[in-house]
Amino acid sequence: MTHKMNRRGFLKYTGSAAVVAGVGVAMPRIARAAGGKVVIVGGGVGGATTARYLKLHDPDIDVTVIEPNATYHTCFLSNEVLSGDRTMDQIAVTYDGLKGMGINVVKDSVTGIDPAAKTVGTAGGETFAYDRCVVAPGISFKLDDFTGVSDAMFDTIPHAWKAGPQTALLRSQLEAMPDGGTFCMVAPPNPFRCPPGPYERASQIAMYFKHHKPKSKVVIIDRKDKFSKFGLFTQAWKDLYGYGTDNSIIRWVNGGEAGEIAAIDPSTMTVETDFENVKADVINYIPPQRAGEIALTAGLANDKGWCDVDKLTFESKAHAGIHVLGDASVATKMPKSGYSANSQGKICAAAIVALLAGDTPGTPSYVNTCYSIAGKDYGFSVAAVYRYSAETDTIAGVEGAGGLTAVDASAEVRRREVAYAYSWFNNIVKDTWG
Amino acid sequence: MQKSAWKAALAVGLLCGVAGAGVAHAEGMASASMLANTCGACHGPNGNSYGPASPSIAGMNEFYLTETMLRYASGDRPSTIMGRIARGYSEDEIKVIAKHFAAQKPARMIMQEGDAGLVDLGQKITRELCDSCHEDDGYAAEDYPILAGQMMTYLRYNLADFNSGARDLEKNPNLSNKERRKKIRNLQDMHDEFGEEGLEAVVHFYGSRK
Repeated sequence: MTHKMNRRGFLKYTGSAAVVAGVGVAMPRIARAAGGKVVIVGGGVGGATTARYLKLHDPDIDVTVIEPNATYHTCFLSNEVLSGDRTMDQIAVTYDGLKGMGINVVKDSVTGIDPAAKTVGTAGGETFAYDRCVVAPGISFKLDDFTGVSDAMFDTIPHAWKAGPQTALLRSQLEAMPDGGTFCMVAPPNPFRCPPGPYERASQIAMYFKHHKPKSKVVIIDRKDKFSKFGLFTQAWKDLYGYGTDNSIIRWVNGGEAGEIAAIDPSTMTVETDFENVKADVINYIPPQRAGEIALTAGLANDKGWCDVDKLTFESKAHAGIHVLGDASVATKMPKSGYSANSQGKICAAAIVALLAGDTPGTPSYVNTCYSIAGKDYGFSVAAVYRYSAETDTIAGVEGAGGLTAVDASAEVRRREVAYAYSWFNNIVKDTWG
Repeated sequence: MQKSAWKAALAVGLLCGVAGAGVAHAEGMASASMLANTCGACHGPNGNSYGPASPSIAGMNEFYLTETMLRYASGDRPSTIMGRIARGYSEDEIKVIAKHFAAQKPARMIMQEGDAGLVDLGQKITRELCDSCHEDDGYAAEDYPILAGQMMTYLRYNLADFNSGARDLEKNPNLSNKERRKKIRNLQDMHDEFGEEGLEAVVHFYGSRK
């Protein structure tokens, strides 16, 4: 064995005992299988991750997921469907993975939650009793009072901010659009699902235009003067789409330049602001947002429409026994992203396992990792590791860690970030839905 | 307060747990599974990756994983995102995470097909230049990372980084001088004797191991 001491000698020598001791750590099985009934409202990232990790921790827990859709379409990478780089099938996931673990997946819509009786009622007339309830409804829209805006408009002016038929509709409109046409996006005010999403969407559509409809333009009417990954997106637009020149494919009209938006008129396909009327062939109106409807109905939301939670367990501040996570929750510094919802689902599952067993939940560990693909071989990311700060009651990023891809990153780094973005997609889908 | 006294107070605070604001009931380091599970959404459930680039980390030598995270954090090993993430953890947390993944069973979530000609060439090259460290055709995890079945894209990036000098073995303090010299020499030989095709052959050989 002497030659091995010459190799990785120090580590190997000091570590050999620990290697043996480490075997069998794996997934912690809770010593006393407590069981209990958990009802999860919503089979998106937050709900599905919670369900899966509850079962991994303790197979004796009776887990029910209530979700109206048989097939879920991920919001992440749905912008690639808009450019034609990905198909709808490639962002579709089923619930077979959850069912295969013994999770009861019910295709129905939850209409009410009774926190006193600890029951959940559905549109299908069923009632589910729970020991712990998890509400992961994502977002709903709080429509602006602009002229022309109504729920009915989304058949012609898609939001495409919940992936699925809306994504397919927007893609078909872009395909049907003549070369030389204009795509106009009305970007949402903060806070909203997927902060870099509108700008990745603009980039993906610009890429489609560049290669297929080069005389076409992307106009973003914004309510903000800055946005997520601002430096990286604007650099990408300069590198790829002529941003800052007269021939730029993308024109971003910031909040100050746009002023107030007065109307989005589906009959004339015009977005009217204080300073200009943008006539477009395809309009994408991404409305202001709040927690999903059931969170509002169940009295879980604050006056701004989002759900305050205990940041260590994601238990609602409004109703004990109900946990809210993902986009609907107020997770302070954690963005409303898929990775956040996945990370929160694992924390929530571990907390519920402890609470059902009468134990104190352990210390959580939170992570967010979010990739944007601005064009071919052009990716970048933001990442953060968070800890709970009791002092400020926030989920705060660890100082000195996390952050963005460097604006001056090499072409090779940007290319690799795309490969890692696709890896992120493949792995988070399996980690969430099995 | 004197610096040493402040440090002592901090240490006591960490050990005892700082009283929280009512809702704050969890103190101390997160559990191994809590820490490690946050990695799964990029590296795959239990650290077995569905690819195409994020490496599998299940069953890896825990000391290799620890030193890798520490070197990502310091910037001595280049990365796109891992440096930013690694800096979010203490050394103790990194050790716990590494130990957790070392105890996971490696599994192939996707099969990577290798080009038959390249696989043959790769086998020849690796047995000549790699197998004395990455033993058993890269299946061994005793001293070095498992290479068998690793994501081809990841292997390609790392060979390119060794070749360009971006990943510099001189900066790895955990290798003996003898071992460091041998690795640098063999990587150089691989490139000189077999060229770009040789590097690609090594990628195909290790990546396609069942």
